Amino acid sequence: MSANLTKQIFRPYTGEKARITRAYDYLILVLALFLFIGSFHLHFALTVGDWDFWIDWKDRQWWPLVTPLMGITFPAAVQAVMWEKFRLPFGATLCVTALLIGTWITRVFAYHYWNYFPINMVLPATMLPGALVLDAILMLSNSLTITAIFGGAAFALLFYPSNWPILGMFHEPIEYGNGQLTVADLFGFQYIRTGMPEYLRIIERGTLRTYGQYAAPLAAFCSALLCSLMYTLWWYIGKWFATVRYLNKI
Amino acid sequence: MKTLLIKSVVSLSLILSLYALNIQTVMAHGEKALEPFIRMRTIQWYDVQWSKQKFTVNEEISVSGKFHVAEDWPVSVPKPDAAFLNISTPGPVLIRTERFLNGKPYVNSVALQPGGDYSFKVVLKGRLPGRYHIHPFFNLKDAGQVMGPGVWLEVSGNADDFRNEVKTINGEVINMETYGLSNGIFWHVFWGALAAAWLLWWVRRPLFIARYRMLQAGLEDELVTQQDKHIGKAILIGVPIFVLASNWMTISEYPKAIPLQAALDQILPLSAQVNAGMVDVDTLKAEYRIPERAMTFLVKINNRSDKPIQVGELAVANVRFLNKELAMPSQDNTDRMIAPDGLTLADATPIQPGEERTMTIIAKDALWESERLDGLIRDSDSRIGGLLFFYDGLVGERFISSITAAVIPKFN
Repeated sequence: MSANLTKQIFRPYTGEKARITRAYDYLILVLALFLFIGSFHLHFALTVGDWDFWIDWKDRQWWPLVTPLMGITFPAAVQAVMWEKFRLPFGATLCVTALLIGTWITRVFAYHYWNYFPINMVLPATMLPGALVLDAILMLSNSLTITAIFGGAAFALLFYPSNWPILGMFHEPIEYGNGQLTVADLFGFQYIRTGMPEYLRIIERGTLRTYGQYAAPLAAFCSALLCSLMYTLWWYIGKWFATVRYLNKI
Repeated sequence: MKTLLIKSVVSLSLILSLYALNIQTVMAHGEKALEPFIRMRTIQWYDVQWSKQKFTVNEEISVSGKFHVAEDWPVSVPKPDAAFLNISTPGPVLIRTERFLNGKPYVNSVALQPGGDYSFKVVLKGRLPGRYHIHPFFNLKDAGQVMGPGVWLEVSGNADDFRNEVKTINGEVINMETYGLSNGIFWHVFWGALAAAWLLWWVRRPLFIARYRMLQAGLEDELVTQQDKHIGKAILIGVPIFVLASNWMTISEYPKAIPLQAALDQILPLSAQVNAGMVDVDTLKAEYRIPERAMTFLVKINNRSDKPIQVGELAVANVRFLNKELAMPSQDNTDRMIAPDGLTLADATPIQPGEERTMTIIAKDALWESERLDGLIRDSDSRIGGLLFFYDGLVGERFISSITAAVIPKFN
C-alpha cells in the first residue's frame, strides 16, 4: 500500500475510501474495546485478584506494589502497537478504561446482584491518572526509554495517592470486639465470605518492612522501579505479537 | 453446510432439553467432600445450638457450641496456627455482628492448640430473606474447611429494611451498606470523564489506516500537532498536581485513618473438657466391617470418677451414634446426622468407680457410607478419631473422652 509513499506523492483518502477507512476505525475500536474489557479484566483478576476485589485487602504495602506492576502490562503492549504503527498516544488510557468498564460490570452484577455484597465493599481501584500520564509522556518524548523510566515510575507512584480519596474514609478506626479495626476490616468481618477467611489476606507481610512506619511510599517506589522494567518487557511483547501486514494488503 | 446445520440444531436441542428436566437445586456445599480423616481428626464439634431458626431481617440470632481440637492431628494437615471460625452462607445473606471464642470477642484469625477445648458463639443478623442451609465451620490455613453441623434458617421480611449502622471512634454513625459509595463513584466518574475526553480527542479524527499511511509517508509531524502536545503537557503537569492535592485533602479530612488490621488473635483453650482426667479411654483396636457398615472398637476404659458411668454416644465428624439404652437429653439442635440405635456395647452394665474394663463397642449404621466416612479405608491416613460420651446414669453428669486408632478394613 503506502509503505513506499513519500511526502511528495502522498494523497489522503477522500470520498468513499475515506468513509470506508473511517468505518474500519470504528470497527477496530469497538472490537478492541471488547477485547481489552475481556482480556485485560481476566488478566487483572488472575494476577491482582483479591487485592482489587475487596476493600479489606487494599493494604499499604502489597496492594500498591502488585496492582501497578500487573496493571502496566497491557497498557505497555497496546501503547507499543498504537504508537509505533499509528502514532496514537492513547493505548494506556484505552486499556485501563476497558479494564474499569469490565470491573464495574462484574462488581455490580456478579458481586452485588448475584452474590449480595454491598458495592462499597468491592469498590475497584483506579489507574486512570497513571494511564493518562503514561500516554502523555509517550507522546511528548516519543521514546521507549523515557516512557519506561518516567512513565512507568509515574504509573506506580500515582496509584496510591490517586486512590486514597476513594479509600481513605474506609480506614477510619472503629472500636470493635475489644480491638481496633478499620471500617474496611469490619466489612471483611461482617459480610460473610465463606471461601475467604481472614488469614488469606496478605497484609503488610514479608521482609519488605517499613521505615519509620511509612509503608506506602516505600512500596510505591519499589513498584516504580519494577514498573519501569515491566513496561519495557510488555512493550516488546506488544511489539512482537502485533502485525500490520494485513494493512499492507489494502 | 447441511451437516453443520443438523449438528447445530441437535446440539441446541440437547442443551435446551436440559431445561425440561426436573433439576433440583443443589442443597449441599461439600460437607462430605473433605477426606474423612480430616473431618474426624481436626475440629471435633459438639453441643452446637442455634438460638432460633426462623427470624426476620434485622433480627439477631446466635449459634453457639463447643469443639475439641484433636490431639491426633493428621500429619498431612498443617497445624492450626491460623484458623478462622466462619459461617457457610450463599453470600452475605446474614451478617456476622459478633463472635466469641471461650467468651472472648475476636475478629481476626486465631491459633488453636491441638488437644485444646474451646467454646464459641457467633451472633448473626438477618440481611436477605430466604431459606438457607447454614453451618458453622473452620477455615484451617492450608488445610481447608471443616464443617460443623448445620441447620436450615428461614429469614423473613423485606431486604430493603436491612440496616447496619456502626459508630467510628470519632463518634460518627455510618451506614455500612452505603458508606463511601457515592464518593467512590464520584472519583471513578471524574477520572473516567477525563479518560473519555482524552480518548475522544483522538478518536474524533481518522485513525488506523489514515494514520498508518501518513506515518509511512513521513508525515509524522502532522499526526501529533502542537495542540496535542499542549494538552499532553497539561496532563503531565495537571494530573499529578491534582492527584497529590486530592490525596493531601483526604489525609487532612481523615487524619485518624489507620492501616488495615491483621493481627492473629491469641486465645488460650478452656480447662480440659475432653480427656479431663475422670475417664481415660485407650483405643486398642478399630475394625470396619464393610458389608455391615459397622465400626468395632476394642477400648480400655478406666473410670477414675466417683460415679458409675455408661457409654452413651460416639460422635465422629458430624455423625452421632447413640446408645438407645441410655436416653440422655441432647444438647445439640442442629441437623446433625444421628443413628439413634447405632451404638452397641458388648457389656452394657455401668462401669463402676475405679473399675478398668476392656470392652467392645460397635457403631453400626449406613451413615458410615452415606456420610462418606467409610472412605477412610482408601485414604493414605486411615486413622479414625472421635469423641466418646459417658454418662452417669443417675444424675446425668457427662464425661467426654477422645478416641483414636488405625482402622483395619474387613471386606467380608
